[in-house]
Amino acid sequence: MSRSAAEDGIEMCSVCVGDTLFGVPITGILEILDKPAPRSVPLAPAHIGGLVHYRGEILTAVSLRSLLGLPPHSEPPDMLVFEGRDGYFGLLVDTVGEVLTVSPQEFEPNPSILDDRKRALFAGTYKLSNSLLVMLEPDRFDPVLLAQ
Amino acid sequence: MDELIREFLIESHAGLDQMEKCLTELEESPGDVELLANIFRSVHTIKGTTGFLGYARLESLSHAGENLLGLLRDGKLVVNAEIISALLDLLDSLRAVLRSIETAGDEGRGSDEVIVARLLALASAIGSVGEESRADAKDRSVLRLEPAQTSSASDAQNAAQSWNAADSTLRVDIGLLNRMMNLVGELVLTRNQILQANSTDTEFTPLARRLDMVTADLREAVMKARMQPVSHVFSKFPRLVRDLAQQLDKRVRLRMEGQETELDKSLLEAIKDPLTHSVRNAIDHGIEAAEVRAACGKDREGLLVLSARQQGSHVIVEVTDDGGGIRVERIRDKAIERRLITAQKAAQLSERELLQLIFLPGFSTAEKVTNVSGRGVGMDVVRTNVERIGGKVELDSKPGRGTTLRLSIPLTLAIIPALIVRSRSQDFALPQTALVELVYLTVEESALQIELLEGAPLYRLRGKLLPLVFLNRLLEQSSGDEALAGCYIAVLNADGRRYGLIVDGLADPEEIVVKPLSAALKRIGLFSGATVMGNGELALILDPGAIAGRAGISLSVDEGEEPSPGDTVAMTESEFLLVETGATQAALPLNSVLRIERIPRSRIEWLGGLPLLRFGSVLLPLEDRSHLLHHSGQVGPGQFDPSQVDNEITVIVCRDGERHVGITASHVVDVASGAPLLEAGTQSIAPEVTLLKERVTGVVNLSRIPALPEPVEVSA
Repeated sequence: MSRSAAEDGIEMCSVCVGDTLFGVPITGILEILDKPAPRSVPLAPAHIGGLVHYRGEILTAVSLRSLLGLPPHSEPPDMLVFEGRDGYFGLLVDTVGEVLTVSPQEFEPNPSILDDRKRALFAGTYKLSNSLLVMLEPDRFDPVLLAQ
Repeated sequence: MDELIREFLIESHAGLDQMEKCLTELEESPGDVELLANIFRSVHTIKGTTGFLGYARLESLSHAGENLLGLLRDGKLVVNAEIISALLDLLDSLRAVLRSIETAGDEGRGSDEVIVARLLALASAIGSVGEESRADAKDRSVLRLEPAQTSSASDAQNAAQSWNAADSTLRVDIGLLNRMMNLVGELVLTRNQILQANSTDTEFTPLARRLDMVTADLREAVMKARMQPVSHVFSKFPRLVRDLAQQLDKRVRLRMEGQETELDKSLLEAIKDPLTHSVRNAIDHGIEAAEVRAACGKDREGLLVLSARQQGSHVIVEVTDDGGGIRVERIRDKAIERRLITAQKAAQLSERELLQLIFLPGFSTAEKVTNVSGRGVGMDVVRTNVERIGGKVELDSKPGRGTTLRLSIPLTLAIIPALIVRSRSQDFALPQTALVELVYLTVEESALQIELLEGAPLYRLRGKLLPLVFLNRLLEQSSGDEALAGCYIAVLNADGRRYGLIVDGLADPEEIVVKPLSAALKRIGLFSGATVMGNGELALILDPGAIAGRAGISLSVDEGEEPSPGDTVAMTESEFLLVETGATQAALPLNSVLRIERIPRSRIEWLGGLPLLRFGSVLLPLEDRSHLLHHSGQVGPGQFDPSQVDNEITVIVCRDGERHVGITASHVVDVASGAPLLEAGTQSIAPEVTLLKERVTGVVNLSRIPALPEPVEVSA
């Protein structure tokens, strides 16, 4: 992606969960961890994917797969690290792909056909030439907020 | 907030703290010019700065105070209790305004007319009342001349010292220190992993050792940066004691010892309330009114001693009074009256156990409820608060002679010893402060010995029923209907709740660095944090108190199995572990035995001629009673008498007060109860000997085992 393209577009880190392509604005991502092997927490809510050791802190990772109601994946997940209200937190995804640049003209709000739960999670959709990219806002995955 | 105002607030608070200390001292030595000058300086500084910042209330208050203090300093007026009280009230008003500036940003709306008028009235009394009171106060100041002079000399010295200290110190944000502590914890973990790593590079080992040493030193330095002397908390007590004594019309002298003892800042904060509570209790319930004391032949003035000292990895803080003590019968009667315990049960308890009833929630023996204490919330709160930070509370009392409350606080919160337990292939850390003992059950034993009472699992531990909690069922890792495998029972004592936690397996104990959990996970309630273990894996830290609560384990009164040092030579029948040491047998008090280990001889190391065992970074001094180790000066570690076929020895790890010691033995014979023996002629109980299985057996005196030569810790 060239810098000139970034000026009139938004750079998105593409991630895959199930069959869907998602995008997270790269500005909010602190780090991408390659298969960090989260430690599961007994009695935790289903969407908590586990604990991961990150730079001296132990952060709580949220599983996007469980949030979407999908069964566990066969491969260990990758993780994006964000800063939330209560320190760092992680978002577990099946795989992390390349960085894509999308332009605001391609944006559309959530279609009404989605159920309420998913509408609350997704920020909208970018129409790419050959597929759709669902935009995710990191703030919506903060475990502190999800617990409420 | 404006940087200037923040600086002003910090400085003013420090100045007022200093003033409070000086005021209470001034009452002791009214003629002390140096103290007066100090107080004057504090108020004067506030006045100067407030005028500049435009705080009118502060200015008028400090102005009135400065007037009065000026007269005192110049000797035109003599200090008396009334003046001290007025100045202390002035101090409170100043603090209230400062707090208002801090929280609301302005001085608030309160009126200071009363206190200002009072100060002015005192200042104008110079001509009339002052005359006569000055005459007799002069005598007092002459009488007091000597001590006052020495104290002013040392004060001047202190002032000089504190000036130097202020020059070379720096205020650091506590958040930054916490972050540094975190990073050091991280470094410790990385170091642990490096030390476990194998490398063929010859450079690697010395480099790893160096990293090891530097890390240990760095950790110590950062921990030290978080330490503060206990005087930070103690300094508020002279005022508190003075006010309480006045309020209750008692005479109390406060003595403070070991104020320089240092403790982690967060722990210092945590013991503030329990200590205040204990001091209130001591003055209200402990120390008697002056007439009562005189009738008992005691000094009319009661003595309250606050002391702190470091003992191993703990700081011991004691609140001692020379008051009436606690009458055990009264505690028993109250406890029965308040239905905290049945009369039947009470009859079975020892005096020591009865004394511990005072820590039950809702307990109070005060005849009347005063506004100082006696509302029945008290000692249980003290205990809960202290145990929350991994400390312990003990109470000693002699009727008519006084009471001592002993708080034992760990030096630091951030790193705690923990036992790693396994539940369904996942590791959890169990803080060792709650751990009493471990019991292993084989597959057959667990099927037979875990009994069910209406579905509630129980185990007979030395004849007493112990409620059990299955960790894997509690964590919903298992439904509980599969067959029982071999397991361990970790016998726990959490806030006075005694139960056995059944775990699938054990790993080595570790010193763990406690990391907080996110709010979303704290909600689960069973975990107090998480940690990264030496192998790099994460483990959740179990909260024994919360587990007891979740499992519905209630408080048990008869938990008192904690040995006190004096118990080792027991007055009545007590249980002993009988071991064979070479040709003879020896008895160890069972309540001090922590665990029994089989150790290869090659593990024994020597330091200064004394045998030692090393577990990771922890050293255990050994007592070699029967010379099983055959140590001669020339034999180094690793070289042993080849004629010794049996290459393993038994080491019994025992608790001696705070420290742990090991005793070597060829093997363990049995557990038996021993009866005391009397010495012919004196009819007193013979020390260090007991009648065990009809044989006179020597009891090992654990406190005689020599301490480790310095340094105690090899590395962190």
